[in-house]
Amino acid sequence: MANLTLKNLSKSYGDVAAVRNLSLDIHDREFFVLLGPTGAGKTTTLRCIAGLERPESGEVWIGDDLVNDWSAANRDVALVFQQYSLYPNYTVRKNLEFPLRSKLRQLPAKEIGPRVQKAAETLRISHLLDRRTDRLSGGEMQRVAIGRAIVREPRLFLMDEPLSNVDAKLRELLRSELRQLQLKLGATLVFVTHDQVEAMTMGDRIGVLCEGELVQVGTPYEVYNFPGNTFVASFVGTPAINLFDAAMDGNKLIVVPKKFEIALQPAIGARLKEVIGPRDTVRVGVRPEHVKLIAGGDIAGRLYGAEDHGVEMILTIQVADHLIRATSAATTRVPVNAPVQVAFAQDKLHFFDLETTKNLAQA
Amino acid sequence: MAELDLIDVEKHFGTNWVIRKLNLRINHGEFVVLLGPSGCGKTTTLRAIAGLEEIDTGEIRIDGKPVESLPASERDIAFVFQLYSLYPHMTAFENIAFPLRAFRMSDKEVREKVKSVAKVLRIEHLLNKRPSALAGGDMQRVTIGRALVRRPKALLMDEPIGALDAKLREEMRVELRRLHIENNSTTIYVTHDQVEAMSMADRIAIMNEGVLQQVGSPMEVYSWPANLFVAQFVGSPIMNVVNCRVEASDSTTKVRLDGMESPFQFGGEVYRRVAAAGHDDIALGVRPEAVLVERAEQPGYLPGEVHLIEPLGAYDILDIGVGKTVIRARTESRFVTRLHEPVWVQLDKERTHFFDKKSGLALPSER
Repeated sequence: MANLTLKNLSKSYGDVAAVRNLSLDIHDREFFVLLGPTGAGKTTTLRCIAGLERPESGEVWIGDDLVNDWSAANRDVALVFQQYSLYPNYTVRKNLEFPLRSKLRQLPAKEIGPRVQKAAETLRISHLLDRRTDRLSGGEMQRVAIGRAIVREPRLFLMDEPLSNVDAKLRELLRSELRQLQLKLGATLVFVTHDQVEAMTMGDRIGVLCEGELVQVGTPYEVYNFPGNTFVASFVGTPAINLFDAAMDGNKLIVVPKKFEIALQPAIGARLKEVIGPRDTVRVGVRPEHVKLIAGGDIAGRLYGAEDHGVEMILTIQVADHLIRATSAATTRVPVNAPVQVAFAQDKLHFFDLETTKNLAQA
Repeated sequence: MAELDLIDVEKHFGTNWVIRKLNLRINHGEFVVLLGPSGCGKTTTLRAIAGLEEIDTGEIRIDGKPVESLPASERDIAFVFQLYSLYPHMTAFENIAFPLRAFRMSDKEVREKVKSVAKVLRIEHLLNKRPSALAGGDMQRVTIGRALVRRPKALLMDEPIGALDAKLREEMRVELRRLHIENNSTTIYVTHDQVEAMSMADRIAIMNEGVLQQVGSPMEVYSWPANLFVAQFVGSPIMNVVNCRVEASDSTTKVRLDGMESPFQFGGEVYRRVAAAGHDDIALGVRPEAVLVERAEQPGYLPGEVHLIEPLGAYDILDIGVGKTVIRARTESRFVTRLHEPVWVQLDKERTHFFDKKSGLALPSER
């Protein structure tokens, strides 16, 4: 296995910059997730690493090798796509053997059998080895596709949305299987997805991409609890974080445009004064689990909607003209349109700059 | 408003059954979600109600009257699809007004009706725009406006927000539910997404392979799933379903998972329920939030080892090895931070389910 370094990588298609000046260190044996919406540049980045795409500028290092001029085949990386691209007329065994028979590899024939056997055992598909791949279920096909990457024992695994074609239930299962597998193999793995749940649950670290720019790199805990800007704050986490603009007035936050007020605890007020500097207005972020439905809470509104998700309720509360989302216990029963009071867990408030969108606590 | 009855409805294509013996009553002003995986028969059911699909046997009644002989256009039902199907050359206003034009209504009346629907949908400011100038969520609001403007007896929706991005879907769920509360129109909504079903429905009707599995409120189907299919289709992360062996001892029941030395202790009624099943091919089902985890030994708790930590921000999901079984538990964020850490596990008795593995059915309770 190997570490991977990207230095000032840039790539555009015509006038559109797909990846802008991206620098990133991915450690040996790390499960690294590139997360972002469609068009963020995550697949382009992955293809530059694989050698399927030539960056305009910047360097790709795998281990101690600068591989910019190496062909895809020479880079010794294995790619797994959303489409499994298996040979449908071949058996699972032949599909797994295929990458090992490549002339480039010059692997002695007697090593091929054991390698295939070992990969099949790891993925628990030994019983399928003699079945044709068009006779497999979605989950099995995905395992074979991953198996074909494993047999090569590459320096690096690259995966592009490999779980998005399977149904929700299977995806949940494959998520933890893939993570366990990566830990077991000690593999370095770069995983591309637009699904923040996949990113959070599998990654050692997540790199969040937005419009070709890497906006934050951190552990799932860091990205969720200390989002670098409003994009990361609202892209990660479900239900989404509440964001609204507010001005500071003494020890109060006045929410604009339609006003409601939040009286700040002295310590929070002092912290905000420090980070707010000369700004009039900031963007405030508060996650739904930090909005508490509580009698005597200082923010009064009415219940706009209630969703019973079984494990918990998701409430939408209308305060002045704002809709604020809160999670609460599954047993909560409040009629829609009833007046309610809420309070924010003030030590969990985030403050962002209106122009740069950056988190002020980290500026 | 309307009341709908499906009575012994069946439909097949060739030798494939699409709907089998479907019986379902939908009450006045009710929001019912047909939920199931692709191919379960939910869309065919919806299309049969709309009159877009003929059924082979059975009867569909709207307000007590069989509608078999009525064409779709005379059933007074509005249909919203996943694709917006708006007229691209017309403004949002004209699109919404379109169904009213057939009724020789005065311009003033049309304007009033469109305005009132637009207000509920919060698209008043978009009425002069063409569909191409609208965002996905707004286009879908216009489509819904067009369906609602003529005040149909019932509103049918087939995955109407499936094509929107995650955040917009979250918003639209709340809006659609509000819209229903304000309009009180009988609504039948088809989706494969259990989150949508849970968050909007008065009642959920869960289908699989053409067969209705369970009908109930979100709380009922979540807390008392009728069978293994429902248990694992509703809820995320999915319910743990694991093999177990059950023994009676005095007035208690010992429940052992694969490879476990010590059993979990349950009340005596669990054994009586299992005995009533007549065999011991039983599975235990427990949702991740009903798996109680401690970091120190506790009476009644059994030892396990953390195999995997999945942080989800607001909470974590742990894969815990207990004997040879892996059970997933929901804990607060950072409750366990290191892999392979020992933990102690107990099951919340009130929220543990037992299923007959042969039939897939939940074991009846002793009530």
